[in-house]
Amino acid sequence: MIRFENTSKKYGDFEALAPLDLTIQSGEWLGIFGRNGSGKTTLLRLLVGISKASEGRITMDDVEAGPSEWRAMRSSLGFMPERFPLLPHLSGEKTLRYYARLKRVDLDEVGPLLETVGLGDVARRKTSTYSKGMRQRLNLAQALLGDPRLLVLDEPIEGLDGHGVKDFFELLRSVPNRTVVISSHRLPLVSKLCDRVCVLKQGKVEALGATDDLIRQADLPTRLIISPHASTSESMGRALARLPSATMVSQNGRVVVDVAQRDKLAVLSEIASFGDAVQDIRIEEPTLEEVLLGSH
Amino acid sequence: MAHIDLVAVATIARRELSERLRNRWIWTVSGLVLLTSLALGLLGATPVGVVGAGSGGAILASIVNLAVYLVPLLALVMGAGAVIEDKASGHLDLMLAYPVTAGEYFLGTFAGHMLALWLALLTSFVPACLILSRTSGVHLAESLGVLVPILGLGTSFLALSFLVAILAGDPARGIASSVLVWVFTVLVFDLVLVGMLVGLGDRIPPDWLGAALLLNPADVFRLIAFDWASSAASPLGLATVAPPFSVAVLAAIMALWIVLPLFLSHWLFQRRLAADVLV
Repeated sequence: MIRFENTSKKYGDFEALAPLDLTIQSGEWLGIFGRNGSGKTTLLRLLVGISKASEGRITMDDVEAGPSEWRAMRSSLGFMPERFPLLPHLSGEKTLRYYARLKRVDLDEVGPLLETVGLGDVARRKTSTYSKGMRQRLNLAQALLGDPRLLVLDEPIEGLDGHGVKDFFELLRSVPNRTVVISSHRLPLVSKLCDRVCVLKQGKVEALGATDDLIRQADLPTRLIISPHASTSESMGRALARLPSATMVSQNGRVVVDVAQRDKLAVLSEIASFGDAVQDIRIEEPTLEEVLLGSH
Repeated sequence: MAHIDLVAVATIARRELSERLRNRWIWTVSGLVLLTSLALGLLGATPVGVVGAGSGGAILASIVNLAVYLVPLLALVMGAGAVIEDKASGHLDLMLAYPVTAGEYFLGTFAGHMLALWLALLTSFVPACLILSRTSGVHLAESLGVLVPILGLGTSFLALSFLVAILAGDPARGIASSVLVWVFTVLVFDLVLVGMLVGLGDRIPPDWLGAALLLNPADVFRLIAFDWASSAASPLGLATVAPPFSVAVLAAIMALWIVLPLFLSHWLFQRRLAADVLV
């Protein structure tokens, strides 16, 4: 368990991170979101020990990283930076062996780890020839060295295409039983993976909780997009407009209704009463991004 | 304070050595030194006015002078991007998320640079020294012995380059500042001393001028080298300005020229790292 206790970071007069109390449970996946300059990177730098807190403290299993504990604590930590500093003249295997030595990890672990991240076939190729996706895999492999209990990933899917993102997430899921903290600005993609999300804005926590809870608490309407038979379009529009919490617009013969969560079933029942006159219906639940941006 | 993990230091030093040895600039300057020193060894001592083989002391003096000009340049440029390039690339941040202290990283980085510099210098000067001892009257031990102060000279300027790089906080500014340091220490400093000597004449006690040479590692090197290779000192008349210090004291001062900038750069590095203002 990792605990931030009244932890803050200042650079001169600028407060990069306001005093923060945050507990990350063992095995939890926490997503850190926010725009550029929101304090995401500062929080991660504090977590992995690159920066020191201006005030407060960070503990891991109730132990603060003092002079005698920090080496062991960092050995149980895997950090995947946004920019992986390649050693271009080295192969993937030699690069990983370099990091393994620094972490005092058995060099026999390198081969299987490269297989795990799907780089077994190109392990002896120079990293300068690696694609962006392969570099990210190598980056993840170095973070996984020593089977760390805590994995901290800074913008891990930045620059990856759709397939790359899918492959990366599959790979990440294949190494379970560890605490994972992911920083990203691609909220919809990453929030699905996380147990909880922490949204930062100008160095302060704007929202913290499970994705579903945050959406529920925001109580944004559900959008129903109905494609009725042309002859019933008008009568259906009139019927739905009578419902108190529904906002209705017509779009190219379709009926679009934004309906409060509490009236969702009532509206669906009303639509069902039109029977075969309804050709298609699509239900769009609000997303976390919409909750945080305040739009739908 | 945590103990120093020598495995981490050695691992970082090895990586740094490998990176430095791939630098074409180093081998270009090193090759230039090799060619020039070989030419001196094979063709004689024309640069100091003695023509023909056999004038070993003068040739050795030329090699020492060659070292004064090119070794600091090689060392300063090699270290110009030290630490700050790693910070800019993200390598330093990743290191600090590993079980590696900032001190271990710094030590390993310096050791790697130093080994690369030594390798480049030995490659350049050893062949010339060997040829010199075969073609002239200079004893092999005297000829090869000059390598020790040459390595000291390089190391002191490498330590200075680390300080300059961290103060500069930017690779391009680091190189520009390093060249300025080279111009001042190798060209301007001695001119200033000569100017004072000409301008003030007898009003400056000879000992003071000798002591002033200690303020410049390039001059400390000259004094050590000529003290070691006594046959080389006479063609330049250097004995007339030699300070009243033994070679042991000069060696200690050269060691100070290594330790002091290194200590200062490490202190500055830790301070800027803590404040997140390294680059």
